[in-house]
Amino acid sequence: MGESPSGGATVIKEIFKNITMKKSTIPFPDGVPVSPGESAKIVSLREKVDAVFGRSLRIRQVDAGSCNACEWECTALINPVYDIQRFGIDFVASPRHADALLVTGPVSRQMEFALKKTYLATPEPRLVIACGDCAFDGGIYKGSYAVTNGVAEVIPVDCYIPGCPPAPMRIIQGIREFMKNITGTNK
Amino acid sequence: MNMIERILRKVVGTREYLNELYLEVRKDDFKEVCVFLSKEKHAFLRLMFASDEREVDGAFRIYSVFSVSGVDRFFIVVTPVREDDPAFSSITPDIPAAHWYEREIQDMFGLTPKGHPDPRRLIFHDSFPVHAHPLRKGWNGTETELRQWGEGTVRNVPHEFMEIEGEGICEIPVGPVHAGIIEPGHFRFSVVGETIFFLEPRLFYTHKGTEKHFESMSFLDGVRLAERVSGTSSFSHSSAYCMAVERMAGMEITEKAMAVRTLLLEIERLYNHIGDIGNMCAGTGLAVGYAKGAVIKENLMQLNERIAGNRYLRGVNCIGGITRDVLSQADDLLHTTDAITRDYKALMKLLLGTVSHVERLENAGRLSRDIAMKLGVTGITARASGINDDMRKAHPHLLFDRLDFEPHTMVRGDVFSRMMVRAAETECSLAMINELLEKSYQGELAVEAADLPAHSSALGYTESPRGSVFYWVKSDKDGKPLRVKLRSPSYCNWPAVPFAVHGNIVPDFPLCNKSFNLSYSGCDM
Repeated sequence: MGESPSGGATVIKEIFKNITMKKSTIPFPDGVPVSPGESAKIVSLREKVDAVFGRSLRIRQVDAGSCNACEWECTALINPVYDIQRFGIDFVASPRHADALLVTGPVSRQMEFALKKTYLATPEPRLVIACGDCAFDGGIYKGSYAVTNGVAEVIPVDCYIPGCPPAPMRIIQGIREFMKNITGTNK
Repeated sequence: MNMIERILRKVVGTREYLNELYLEVRKDDFKEVCVFLSKEKHAFLRLMFASDEREVDGAFRIYSVFSVSGVDRFFIVVTPVREDDPAFSSITPDIPAAHWYEREIQDMFGLTPKGHPDPRRLIFHDSFPVHAHPLRKGWNGTETELRQWGEGTVRNVPHEFMEIEGEGICEIPVGPVHAGIIEPGHFRFSVVGETIFFLEPRLFYTHKGTEKHFESMSFLDGVRLAERVSGTSSFSHSSAYCMAVERMAGMEITEKAMAVRTLLLEIERLYNHIGDIGNMCAGTGLAVGYAKGAVIKENLMQLNERIAGNRYLRGVNCIGGITRDVLSQADDLLHTTDAITRDYKALMKLLLGTVSHVERLENAGRLSRDIAMKLGVTGITARASGINDDMRKAHPHLLFDRLDFEPHTMVRGDVFSRMMVRAAETECSLAMINELLEKSYQGELAVEAADLPAHSSALGYTESPRGSVFYWVKSDKDGKPLRVKLRSPSYCNWPAVPFAVHGNIVPDFPLCNKSFNLSYSGCDM
């Protein structure tokens, strides 16, 4: 729908916006066994580039309150029609195996803590892709008492893929543009 | 004096609107009238909800909607509950299907079901503030309250999981973030070796405050939100919502709009059923079946995009009708469904000829008719357990009364039955799509949206791929939404899952779960 898919310039702008605006750590409430200086620190772009330098990307999908349409589009990516594995991209079962989190949904308050913990469980350096209009700013659910208005409110985001839901081709395009821009190679 | 007379004397007022009969009773008689409808008249409890009508006459109201099989009429028992006396007697001990509804009313409105066997919180988790009831008018959580709710560290109302004790019993906690690309929910398995003895699901992680969010929008804009309640039932939800608002406003949609809605409801059923049949193969490790099912589903999704402009059929429904003439693409539709029929038959031949697959499905995840009746399950799950209930037949709407079909039921209630009911309905939907495309239909795409009347209400409903969907809308003094109640089929069916998996092995849980294919988002609202 609507606007053109993430052009190279926009993506780069988004990344830099994110990096310049980002706080150095994510706030965790007292009582959570997290040392803010270490596990929750924000990693430099250079390290993230290294993470995808091998041109393979392992993604852990996290539903943070989406309506399930985005999940079905991600599931469609691994069907024989789109076959995302041919690009070296695959979905994995655990955040421990992942280079990137692909988060969908406006982040419902009851998923907020679980999303933060999933983020921490992902090894450094970790990328975060926010997929869908809800993940961008809450989408149609923006302003509801039970959502946090977008993934960036909870964990730092490196890339946005717009759409409600983004079609599978759109997700592939978004991820590949993103990888191309941060590695500088046209795979 | 016979029983019917005694019950009728309890009714202090009646109001009839279309096929809805509102029976107003005093709070003390509420339980008796509900139990009479359920036990004596064998009526299904379709939904139960509360509404904050304090701005109208100073009281909350509780509504429970019943309908009897074979009669196109809804009996809606209504009772006022005052704020200073917020307890009402729970109907759950007699009508177990009400168990979640009453807990939801307790969470959302602070009205207490007295005598409920399980009065724990349903929707809100531990860190949600005490004495906060979002659907009460005027409630707005403070910033601190909402922040603490999200952080999840303050345990305001600790949730007590049911603990099973005994020799050799272990507990396996799973979720909310799962291994697959699925929605979040927490499951506690109590297992003996590999066998599931007890399962307690903890859901509502994706609770987005949808019902309250409806109240902040106009009725016209609400269509977009209804489309986003549950991804793969987008069209069913928006159809039921539009139907409710149109009935409330007294609007009659054209024959053409009805034809398009009927057609797209069947297409939605088709892509879901074929997708689900394919997905069950992922639960048994039959990769080729999974891949073939996924390809057929993808072809249907691409068809959706061509005919409706959206892979999830969003943007077609509007209050008063539809936005695009899908029937003008009949050639593409017929051509694609022909090809899909061939592929689908080949897929079924493969699945039913694969012993290792069928062997896993048979007798797995059995849900008995008795438990299904008591819990008020709906849709595929009900029909696979021998309950002949289909909204398209029970309460004919749109053009369903013109089409030739019968609901398919099976008796065993296992995973295999659920697959075969889906298979029978897939063929039925293909035939109905062909039948719909044979005729031409009169009228505009949409009629002018009428002014929405003040203080009126109506039900909207349809049969989604998962089961019955209900919307109940009520307008306030300015014709804006006072209350939008939505009830997705998954909300009725989730409580049945623990009964179905009892006695199965843990590795069969994904298979059982896939055979129900329930939506978390639709359930959590």
